[in-house]
Amino acid sequence: MAVLSIQNVEKHTKDMILFPPFNLTIDKGQVVAVHSNLNVRLALMDMFLRKTVIPNGDILINGSSISENKQIYLKQVCISFYEEGLYERLSILDHFKLYKQLYGFNQPFDNILHITQLDEIKHNKIKNLTHSQKRRVQFARVLFQNPSFYLFEEPDLNVDIETRSIFINITKKLLEAGKSILVLTGNIESALIISDRVYRLHEAGLQPYVVEKDAEELNSDPSETENDREEVFQFNKIPTKINEKIVLFDPPEIDYIESNEGQSNVYIKGEAFPSVFTLNDLEERLKPYGFFRCHRSYIVNLQKVREVITWTRNSYSLVLDDQPKSSIPLSKTKMAQLKEMLGLK
Amino acid sequence: MTVSMKRIYAIFQKDLKDLSKNLFVSSIVILPVLMAFMYSRMGDILDLHYLIINLTLASVTAFIQCAVIAEEKEKHTLRGLMLSPATLPEILTGKSLVSLILTIVTLVVCMMITGYEPANLVLISFVILLSCLFYLALGTLLGLLTKTVVEASVVILPFMFLFGFGSMLKPLVDDYAILGFVEYLPNTQLVELAYKIESGLGFGSLWSHLAIILTWVIVATILTIFVYRKREMDD
Repeated sequence: MAVLSIQNVEKHTKDMILFPPFNLTIDKGQVVAVHSNLNVRLALMDMFLRKTVIPNGDILINGSSISENKQIYLKQVCISFYEEGLYERLSILDHFKLYKQLYGFNQPFDNILHITQLDEIKHNKIKNLTHSQKRRVQFARVLFQNPSFYLFEEPDLNVDIETRSIFINITKKLLEAGKSILVLTGNIESALIISDRVYRLHEAGLQPYVVEKDAEELNSDPSETENDREEVFQFNKIPTKINEKIVLFDPPEIDYIESNEGQSNVYIKGEAFPSVFTLNDLEERLKPYGFFRCHRSYIVNLQKVREVITWTRNSYSLVLDDQPKSSIPLSKTKMAQLKEMLGLK
Repeated sequence: MTVSMKRIYAIFQKDLKDLSKNLFVSSIVILPVLMAFMYSRMGDILDLHYLIINLTLASVTAFIQCAVIAEEKEKHTLRGLMLSPATLPEILTGKSLVSLILTIVTLVVCMMITGYEPANLVLISFVILLSCLFYLALGTLLGLLTKTVVEASVVILPFMFLFGFGSMLKPLVDDYAILGFVEYLPNTQLVELAYKIESGLGFGSLWSHLAIILTWVIVATILTIFVYRKREMDD
């Protein structure tokens, strides 16, 4: 039976449709990531907090509606907010003691300190911690609870790599224990790292994350006339279009390219420029310049890759050397290819 | 739904520790103690003793309760508590215990400074405790209505004056009929009760004052519950 079942849930604000009715179910031991903008996320959070009434649909947890019994509902869910309060003047240890008694957790919490890597700073006051460390205290709170469904809001926004890896570790542990997880995020990269089931939620409804067709499929398309283009002068710059202007970039300038609903965006120094070409076209053009298709929706400039991070056996990330230290997903099949290119076996 | 002492204690412990490090709020305790020092030189006058006691109730009890709840709201921690297995009565009991204990300590210190020795300690303690309930409810109410500690400490000022120094308005009642309500304030009632107890009157002649204070407690509690229902889960 589905742990979480969202049925026919929709949201209108004034006369605008935030999202039309959609259904989503999550079974035991599954993780789903939903990518959306801020307004959609807040609307969903309000529903889970029982702040707004859901007009025609319902959200069911283990078969019972969330509006039914507050006490039972609160036992079944654990909500981890992006902006979650901590007591600034108390230490991490004080928080753990409070959580332990509050949630009736009856084991020593050394293990939790260890998982969240807060061992060494456990006597520090919250106000002296960094944002990432605070997030880890908030993730630790989750581990004191034992519900069947976990909801995470923007779990890895603005956190360091260590904290991100701790979070992924925590989700892995929860999934092993047969828990269900829903992650709401505005960052498609983190959604892809956390889950294999990624959706986008917007005015058009809930859509599975669309990935472009593989290159081989496209090549077999008879309408494509590759040969004509060979004869034309090939210029090496990549054109992008901003409003009515066409801006040209040298391939080495480009950090990476992301495809978002069929629109490919070229990222240069943290800024996105919409490209006029599809990802497949760009891959073709940029291959000679050391670009690599690391994911179905990403092309990366290998010259800019600084680190390759292994989150789990199936999920990897590339961390770039650019200004915002962007991290982009690397899919499992491409990992093997990359290793080959790097001469690792 | 059973009330868990363990959770109440956890919240109590957390708040006590937090408050002890929160000088902005806990330094309010100095106010009644300072006043007690100043007035202790004026001799053993019952009105003065109760000026200090009422001031303690209005400043320490109500202000601390109000500031503590407003801070939880400001820092988004109240939401976390409400989503935890702790129920609202448990959260409020834990918090009220902190304010209550601090009030009792302050009261004892002040009474030692002013040298107040009530004729009937048991009865007086009971009456003061009853008044405490009103101030706790008032503090909770204002804490729920405000959003930040600073806002809370401003909003509570008129209440501190009214209930802390309200008994000073009494001589003016004869001149200004509009101030007639002062007679029925819980602080005025407390003073009148003290006079009657001091003169050795029994429980029978006190019930009207007790009833008025009890009405204040009930009204404040109902208002608090009403406001909480409206603002439930508010950030």
